[in-house]
Amino acid sequence: MMLARAAADFYWMARYIERAENTARLLENQLTGLVDTSIEELAVGWRVLYRVLGQSVSVAPAPMGEAEAYLMADAYTLAATLMEDAHNPDSILQCWTRARDNAMQLRPWLPVRVWTCMNQGFLWLRECDYTASWAEGPSVLPAEVINRLRLLAGVIHARMPRDNAWYFMELGRYVERLQRQAALLDIWTGTVEEVPLSWTSLLRVCTAYEAYCRLYSMVVRPDQALEYLVRNPELPRSLRFATRRIQHALSEIDPTGARYPLAPPHRFVLRLAAEIESDSMVEANPLEGDALFSNFLKESLALHDLIVAEYVAYPINKGLPS
Amino acid sequence: MVNRQLALRVVVALVQPCPVQCNSADAHSLLQQRFRTKTYINLRSEEGNPPDMATTNHYAFDRVIPDSRQNASAGSGAFGNYNLSACFYDEMFHSDGSLRGATRSLGAALANADASQLAQVQEGVVRRFVHEGITFTVLREGKTSEQIIPIDCVPRLLSGAEWNLVDLGLRQRLTALNLFLHDIYGDGKCLRDGVVPYELVLGCPQYRVEMRGVKVPSAVYVSICGTDIIRTHDGFAVLEDNLRVPSGVSYMLACRGAMKQAIPRLYRAHTVREVAHYPQHLYTTLASLSQRSDNPRVAVLTPGRYNAAYYEHAFLAGEMGAELVEGRDLVVHDATVFVRSVLGLRRIDVIYRRVDDGFLDPVTFRSDSLLGVAGLFHAYRAGNVVIANAPGTGVADDKALYSYVPDIIRYFLAEEPILANVTTHLCRTREGLAYTLEHLDQLVVKEVGGSGGYGMLIGPHSTASERSEFATRIRAYPADYIAQPVLDLSRAACFIDGHLEPRHVDVRSFVLRGRDVSWVAPGGLCRVALRKGSLVVNSSQGGGCKDFWVLANSEDLQ
Repeated sequence: MMLARAAADFYWMARYIERAENTARLLENQLTGLVDTSIEELAVGWRVLYRVLGQSVSVAPAPMGEAEAYLMADAYTLAATLMEDAHNPDSILQCWTRARDNAMQLRPWLPVRVWTCMNQGFLWLRECDYTASWAEGPSVLPAEVINRLRLLAGVIHARMPRDNAWYFMELGRYVERLQRQAALLDIWTGTVEEVPLSWTSLLRVCTAYEAYCRLYSMVVRPDQALEYLVRNPELPRSLRFATRRIQHALSEIDPTGARYPLAPPHRFVLRLAAEIESDSMVEANPLEGDALFSNFLKESLALHDLIVAEYVAYPINKGLPS
Repeated sequence: MVNRQLALRVVVALVQPCPVQCNSADAHSLLQQRFRTKTYINLRSEEGNPPDMATTNHYAFDRVIPDSRQNASAGSGAFGNYNLSACFYDEMFHSDGSLRGATRSLGAALANADASQLAQVQEGVVRRFVHEGITFTVLREGKTSEQIIPIDCVPRLLSGAEWNLVDLGLRQRLTALNLFLHDIYGDGKCLRDGVVPYELVLGCPQYRVEMRGVKVPSAVYVSICGTDIIRTHDGFAVLEDNLRVPSGVSYMLACRGAMKQAIPRLYRAHTVREVAHYPQHLYTTLASLSQRSDNPRVAVLTPGRYNAAYYEHAFLAGEMGAELVEGRDLVVHDATVFVRSVLGLRRIDVIYRRVDDGFLDPVTFRSDSLLGVAGLFHAYRAGNVVIANAPGTGVADDKALYSYVPDIIRYFLAEEPILANVTTHLCRTREGLAYTLEHLDQLVVKEVGGSGGYGMLIGPHSTASERSEFATRIRAYPADYIAQPVLDLSRAACFIDGHLEPRHVDVRSFVLRGRDVSWVAPGGLCRVALRKGSLVVNSSQGGGCKDFWVLANSEDLQ
């Protein structure tokens, strides 16, 4: 038996972990570029990064032509907002704090090692001297965050039994990933910037560049990159991969709901899978600013509501044993 | 012989190359590397001598192998600053400064350790608490914050023979208190016989009239009891019983876990009685009370993560494999309690509640409660769910009723109490009030309903104005106060600011009682008044905790 509140906590914990990792990867990619990217591209990069995260830029990035010193100062502030700002609910520190809050509620169900790893990471991030880390190198801190998140993911993978708790975590992880990837693709295919967005950067952000090069070529073609990020069943950050994992998790949690008549979340995720298979999604011309993924993003947000309504906040009369 | 052969086979298996599946090229380089760096098992260093344990062992302190032949005394070695006082019983030393019997090994080890080694152990224990988040929640100025419970790395020891006596006394006390509760919520015979005054019981805010006539499973009202025990020159005495929602057991287990890791050799050398089975015993106790014999579903009801003892609630639920539920997770339908699961509502059979009586059910008790479940008491009265401890048990741990516990034991069990009570003056009586007001500067005055070290006056440490203010309050509401002499709590060695110093201690013991099952944890949460000279051991008042070792043998401390 899985307590509904605990299931929600597992789900949200995984979402916050995934969100923190997503932000850290985007940030690392942007901060690594401080060394050799043009000022124009950097300014666009910040704008895109904030839009992907669904936030407005707290400090306007330095306009083109302004001195580099200002750009670095802006980068410092912009990165700090995403890294350790206690008032930004989506900053990495806040995501980790919330994931830990969820984990705290889940202590009876969480293996001790998972909790300890989560807590140690939180204590490290809370006590971490952001200015000193910046002095070591702008991307040092996000890189360390990613390392610690991977350690946590490894401990979770090694320690958690594959029961409902695990599958609710899978659900949270891949719902979050689906939404973030859809937002990313929405920006890349639907934005016209002064400087064209780099598809190589997108592949790097999605940790897919090396695999893409092996599968296609080192010359990144937007249509192939899009096909790869949407439909490839083996790429952990493709939409198809995330959708399949959601389907699998749902059928493990609720095998009855996976049979006809399908439970609402099952039915909805099948619809999302069908959309991914449709040709319109990958036939869009990514260079002409098609806003194809906006609708998909909205639907992936609706999936969350259906999951909560079906397994957490259902009416009492529906839940009574027959 | 068999064991030696088995051990030999294990060693051979360990040193034989393991058939690891790997790429042949990798295997070749791995073998080369292995022989080059000598990573095979070798208990001897390159010079053929045993490896120097002084440089390889992580915890230097624990290397000081306890040796009872070594002489240590108060004032020697690490005990250089240890001031013995004839006024207080010392857990480690006789009054002449020599070590007591069972503490000889530990004392010798401590005496031979230097401050940096002890500091290393202390740091290791604290670090473990920090990393594992062994905390309690403090509410200050409307904000909650997590705090690590202060822990001291020097364990307190007690011989097995002494504990056996305490064990018997605790069982006797709980049996009598359960009979008392059954009686006052039933026939009320002891009230009619004048063992305890009517008004004391019926006027107690913790007396729940709703419990009158309720059929409690096996008449076990108190399944989990936390009794505070002190020690003086006169022996052990009970300071108070906690019969509602006693807390602290998780810290007892956390302390034990940390100490086993910090000083494993010393621990092993002492053959300490095990307390780690507490959660299993707790589950057995709770399950035994259920009407359903086949795998009853047990839940721990917590007020939520902002409760001071939330760590403990989560810990116990996790260790028992029980559900950790809040009021909002439960639903009462047709006098049956259900929990919201992801696939519908599931029945709950036993609730180990960590919520006060008043908040359990807004229909029966406090209507403003958001922590409980509407209709829970109705389901309880119908016998469809067990609540442990039963509502209304608080009447038996009232500070005024405490002074009647010896009489209750004599009345219900026809036995003399094994554990003594602390002398208590009831301000509700004319003599008690007069004595209290006359000796206010020598007594500790407590509010009957107070807890956590709040709302009390420690006469010898108080100012004239404080005493005057208390006297006014006592005269206005005499029934709300009791007075006790200032207790000369025993002292145990603690590592304070780089030195070993004595500090006052008590112990909270934990007793479990179910249907035909009973268990006393051999040990308890040893609470320490870490402030010099302080007698207040509560964690909210600057107190901390330390591990409490009850030895398996019956060696006498004397």
